[in-house]
Amino acid sequence: MHAFLVTLILFTGAVLASLALLIALNKAGREGREHLDRRRRHILEPAVFRYIHETGHRALPNYLPKSLSRRDRRVAEAVLLDAARLVRGEARDRVTAAFEALGSVRDAILGLRSQRWWKRAESAERAGLMGSQSAVEPLVAALGDDEGEVRIRAARALGLVRGSTSIRPLVGALADPNRWSAIRVAEILIGVGPEAVGELLAAYDRLPVAGRVSALDILGRIRSLEAVPLLKRTLNDQHPDLRARAAYALGLIGDPAFVAVLIEALRDVEWPVRATAAKAIGRIGGRAAIPALCEALKDRQWWVRANAGEALRLLGPEGRDALIAMLEADDTYARHQAVAQLEEGHIIDDYIADLGSPDESRRSAAVRFLEKVIALQRHERLTQQSVEHAQEGIRRTLLKILNRPLPEGGT
Amino acid sequence: MLILQSVLGEIVLAFNRAVIYYFIALNGVYLILFVISLIEVRRFVKRTFFSDYEQILRSDMTWPISIIVPAHNEARNIIETVRSLLNVNYGQFEIIVVNDGSTDLTLERLIETFDLKRTDKIYRRALPTGPVRGLYATLEYPKLLVIDKERAGKADALNAGINVSRYPLYCSVDADSIIEENALLRVVKPFMEHPEEMVAVGGIVRIVNGCEVRDGRVARIGLPRRALPIFQVVEYLRAFLSGRIGWSTLRSLLIISGAFGLYRKSEVIAVGGYDRWSETEDLQLVLKLHENLRRNKRPYRIVFVPDPVCWTEVPSTFRVLARQRNRWHRGLLQSLWSHRRMLFNPTYGIIGTLALPYFLIFETLGPFIEILGYIMLALSWALGLLNTDFFLLFLVFAIFFGVFLSVAAVLLEEISFRRYPNWEHLATLVLIAILENFGYRQILSLFKVKAFWDFLRRRRAWGRMEREGFHPAPPPPPARPNPAGGAPDTQGAPGARGAS
Repeated sequence: MHAFLVTLILFTGAVLASLALLIALNKAGREGREHLDRRRRHILEPAVFRYIHETGHRALPNYLPKSLSRRDRRVAEAVLLDAARLVRGEARDRVTAAFEALGSVRDAILGLRSQRWWKRAESAERAGLMGSQSAVEPLVAALGDDEGEVRIRAARALGLVRGSTSIRPLVGALADPNRWSAIRVAEILIGVGPEAVGELLAAYDRLPVAGRVSALDILGRIRSLEAVPLLKRTLNDQHPDLRARAAYALGLIGDPAFVAVLIEALRDVEWPVRATAAKAIGRIGGRAAIPALCEALKDRQWWVRANAGEALRLLGPEGRDALIAMLEADDTYARHQAVAQLEEGHIIDDYIADLGSPDESRRSAAVRFLEKVIALQRHERLTQQSVEHAQEGIRRTLLKILNRPLPEGGT
Repeated sequence: MLILQSVLGEIVLAFNRAVIYYFIALNGVYLILFVISLIEVRRFVKRTFFSDYEQILRSDMTWPISIIVPAHNEARNIIETVRSLLNVNYGQFEIIVVNDGSTDLTLERLIETFDLKRTDKIYRRALPTGPVRGLYATLEYPKLLVIDKERAGKADALNAGINVSRYPLYCSVDADSIIEENALLRVVKPFMEHPEEMVAVGGIVRIVNGCEVRDGRVARIGLPRRALPIFQVVEYLRAFLSGRIGWSTLRSLLIISGAFGLYRKSEVIAVGGYDRWSETEDLQLVLKLHENLRRNKRPYRIVFVPDPVCWTEVPSTFRVLARQRNRWHRGLLQSLWSHRRMLFNPTYGIIGTLALPYFLIFETLGPFIEILGYIMLALSWALGLLNTDFFLLFLVFAIFFGVFLSVAAVLLEEISFRRYPNWEHLATLVLIAILENFGYRQILSLFKVKAFWDFLRRRRAWGRMEREGFHPAPPPPPARPNPAGGAPDTQGAPGARGAS
């Protein structure tokens, strides 16, 4: 029994020691590999860059040591992949030629047929950066891969290799319930630009709601005028997410002619639509919307009031005047939002500065304005300035105004 | 006398046999969880490589998130916490700090630092809460909103934050924790990958004691100098990397740490939000979500992802650790009791038949069996029933498994996330993984037994966490003189988080 016990203790110790050794070996191996890679890179990188920037016809292997180890090939490929992201023109062609000379393109094409999805995805990514035309056909085939990640990489790679990607599979991918993938697809399509618009418009009605939301966002960010009829039509869609996205997209496109339909959207039953419509008007800057924005300052939803207030503030002097007029609105929330926006736009500070003006009428106007703000009990900025303002005269005047009793009817 | 001794002997032997079966079952579960975690971590790391976070970050379509930070007497930390949250790398988000009736200067410091003003925001009280005294906001920091409410506990503060929040997803973050700048992006990923089914996602909590913190960010990762927090580093690695990944893969995750978790608001409201009476409102909420979704036979996911990191401070004295663990264990007991109808109930699928029974048999009763085992050991020796060889055999196995699981957790860390980069760190972690089995784990069992006793006596206490504060990063190098002869060409040394 004792012998067995001792054996067991030894065995246990050995297992634990092996585990600790495994950790140490894993770390040492990784750090060792990284160290060696860095050393080889230090040697190979100048040669690769010399090759890239020369104009002769000598291939990359002529610039590298005669016998290239597998590590050297891997390191040279890594340098080239980094360079491929940076260089353009003839240098870019030389980088592609270097990949072909090293056999990297062949490896990437073989990798696209790997059993492991991440190998296929990685190979598609590398093939795209390598820019070789011989990879086009395998990449097109990879657009039908079972794994979404591989399809996205292949689509992006095709965009890099031949300057235009296959738009249709990408638009189809917007229907993917995985929004993480859909966003990345959307970013690729936004990169494609106006070329993608036709396919997006054709596919729109076939897409599920989430896909349509993405499509509207893409059309807005591409700023496609071709999409305007669809966007306007969508403002009447049953689904509030789509109405909100359409309003947002119209704001991104930014044509002042959209203000009329956006004013309509400010009366939508769903607050996200009203809020995005207000935001869109603020972006476009339509002065015709001032009355509707003033009305939206009284909305039940804070988001709508905040966006409407911001839109007014961004409208310049007319918007500022509207905000000042709203200080006397019959709605408390509208008055408070107006003060907040006037403060954000430094208009309250301008009036405070006017207290020191030699012009009597400006001083009086400033006092009247500031009294309105105080009556709304939104005088934090004024209190602060009564202590911190650089001019002593203004500090004294502010204190005097702040200490006056509120006028009759003041809230 | 002889009969009594004989009966006692039979009892002791029967108990010893039961302990052996129990031990085999417990370590079997641990081993299975570790193997599952090992496979899952490797898959996770591979998939993360292709995440394109930058692309997602730039997109307008990334889902907005409300971050809710309940704060009670956090004047020391709250400004740094809010600053760190304002700097989070994410598209659209809002930060809602809920001042839960603080008696220190938490609210005043927030108002003063961020120039907050009372605001008129209208919101729907979807969840009942204690009285809200006011809301504060500023246009200078449009993402920030502060709720000032009367003291009613963390659960109530979270419910108030949910009521006021604007976005469909909310992230609960403790006021004394730091989330890494990409943490939101990483924790939202499962929601965007499975938008129909995802209900809650938990991130990993790591220990900030010993790290250097600058501007609300962990500037240099280090290990604590004191022994007790280092034990907890290994314990957390085991719990998160071996435990939660395994349970998450089995779709049986019961705990999402209150320090950092992302939830679908509508589902949380549907189950009535957080329970004020619960000692561990996070566990209670997750159990309620499971119960509701399983009962309604809806497909859903509640998962753990190991790379969105939240750094938090852990107790560095036994007194505070005892209080913390007492509360955790009482909370577990409360939650198990309030969901006892789910136990061994196949209606609730794997939750009712595997996860909850595990928590009952191993997490709740485990400490008792362990402590009883020590008593029985003494009794066996006194009665002359102790088979020394067998005892040593058992001891070797018990220690071996304990050490194996802890060292394996360090291995998981090393092959996956590698947050502790130095050889010295690694050696310390392996050493601590061995040493924690000789005393530390037994002490934790004692804390749990005491918690059970307190639970039976219905004794409630949150247990104040006494903080040392985060270690500030060393000050930046001396400023070069400004050639123009003006002020030095540097900003002031950033404030450390509440160094005491």
